[in-house]
Amino acid sequence: MKPLTLTLKEPPSQRVELSALIPDRLSGMRRSAIAAIRLQCGNRKVKVGDLFSLSGGDASQLQLRGDLGKFDGIGAAMAAGVITVRGRVGHQLGAAMRGGRIMVHGDAGDWLGANMHGGRIEVRGCAGNQVGGGLPGDAHGMDGGTILIAGNAGMRVGDRMRRGIVVVKGDTGDYCGARMLAGTIVVFGNAGDFAGAGMRRGTVILIRKPERLPASFNYCGILKMQFLRILFHHLTREYPNLPELRGRGPLCDRYCGDLATGGKGELMILRASYPY
Amino acid sequence: MKINGVEIDNTFAEAFPMKATRLIITAMSYKWAYRAANSLTGFASSIIGCGCEAGIEYEINERHTPDGRPGISVLIFATSTRQLAEQVLKRVGQSVMTTATAACYSGLHTADRIPLGKSLRFFGDGYQISKLVDGTRYWRVPVMHGEFMCEESTGVTDAIGGGNFLVFAKSSRHGLAACEKAVKAMKKVRGAVTPFPGGVVGSGSKVGSKYKFMNTSTNHLYCPTLKGRVPDSALSEKVGSVLEIVIDGLDKDAITEAMRTGIEVTCSFGPRRGIYRISAGHYGGKLGPHHFHLHKILK
Repeated sequence: MKPLTLTLKEPPSQRVELSALIPDRLSGMRRSAIAAIRLQCGNRKVKVGDLFSLSGGDASQLQLRGDLGKFDGIGAAMAAGVITVRGRVGHQLGAAMRGGRIMVHGDAGDWLGANMHGGRIEVRGCAGNQVGGGLPGDAHGMDGGTILIAGNAGMRVGDRMRRGIVVVKGDTGDYCGARMLAGTIVVFGNAGDFAGAGMRRGTVILIRKPERLPASFNYCGILKMQFLRILFHHLTREYPNLPELRGRGPLCDRYCGDLATGGKGELMILRASYPY
Repeated sequence: MKINGVEIDNTFAEAFPMKATRLIITAMSYKWAYRAANSLTGFASSIIGCGCEAGIEYEINERHTPDGRPGISVLIFATSTRQLAEQVLKRVGQSVMTTATAACYSGLHTADRIPLGKSLRFFGDGYQISKLVDGTRYWRVPVMHGEFMCEESTGVTDAIGGGNFLVFAKSSRHGLAACEKAVKAMKKVRGAVTPFPGGVVGSGSKVGSKYKFMNTSTNHLYCPTLKGRVPDSALSEKVGSVLEIVIDGLDKDAITEAMRTGIEVTCSFGPRRGIYRISAGHYGGKLGPHHFHLHKILK
């Protein structure tokens, strides 16, 4: 059976909450029933069929096409299946996601993978602020799963994240890994200023040293961190399109911090490959 | 039955249920991985006095270890999961963690698990860090050489201990020449180890003793120096040494394969090179539920 494909007819005038359309909820539903689902669009309700033309039938392989920059909450709380988006997406993509996989061939808005619990998100373009962060009112940010961003990401990547892995192949804004509780962030481009500010635990791995680190990080020297071998082995196995990791680690400049909040976190600036 | 002129007794090896785990030890080089593995499997020949039986299973290429470094697979056997957990903690803590650059991972992924890093992390005195990668939790314990990496737990499985065969030789020199080659060939069998020093037992035991404080004692029927002393000696006049190879395995197939390989290599020496007979140790079949009949294995 062909994947269920929703092609946007024309961009809506107001923002649309699309969290109702997740594979685990749609599987088993007829196309007509899916077309009749009512979505919140600004202060009114609209039917899926009014916004999208539907084709295919396999809801476990949901495909969304068009400029979805005004569509928020795509894949939110999904637990299984695959969502592939060809185009831009709005905010809170994969928020509170528990499992499954989301692939975006375009840019994503703010709060990508906010409070995510599991699964995988891959964005081929850039992402906004607060990737993997916690929404206002949440005790913490993502606590599981993996986010891979091929382009740049905005400010506060992994803000208050508790577990999981975020990989940004491009640059990030300031305060990357700020207030982290745990988890791992890898940045291949330039991280903005004050990476790791206020982090309690967790690991921020950078290829290049940021211009300004928080003053409350102490230098531990050039060290071989065997953990990097396991992490990179996992990442290169799961994401073959990560050639940046080849020949990297375990040698790095290690900074521990944020000493203002316990100092159990770490910033690692990777050095060139070193045997064993 | 005879193979290459070597007589094969129509008897069986009697083996017992055990619990086992597999650990993967990695280090900077094979040299240091072996140092950790040899230390961990040292003093682990017999459950009678060592608390567990353990042996090196095989070398692992760096492409197939969790951290991409040279690795050694080790099997550890004990009579219960509790005893296994106790021995694993002591041995990994004292032998692997203390070996410079060494790390320890689970090599068995079963639902039944015993702690590894879960308990050893406390050595970190609060500075330890845990990392969850691909659903597996690792502990990073800061130590003087850098960081000791250890997986949270390791799997436990039902296993079999005590597969064996006896080699009747002209002398210890003749017996060891054959046994060394046999043990080397048996190392290629996955899931089985020979826990005794060099894989060979020089002083096999029997159950019981004339002394009340001893549970086991020398197997006098197979001692060449007692041939003229005990009336029911199992040795002919020309046998000057009996060596035993004990095999512990994760399943019956692994032990069967290891025994077949070992006996065939031993028999290839033949009587002209001092190997006369092959037998096996048992307790009348009443103690261990697993019986490995030599004639069936070699059929």
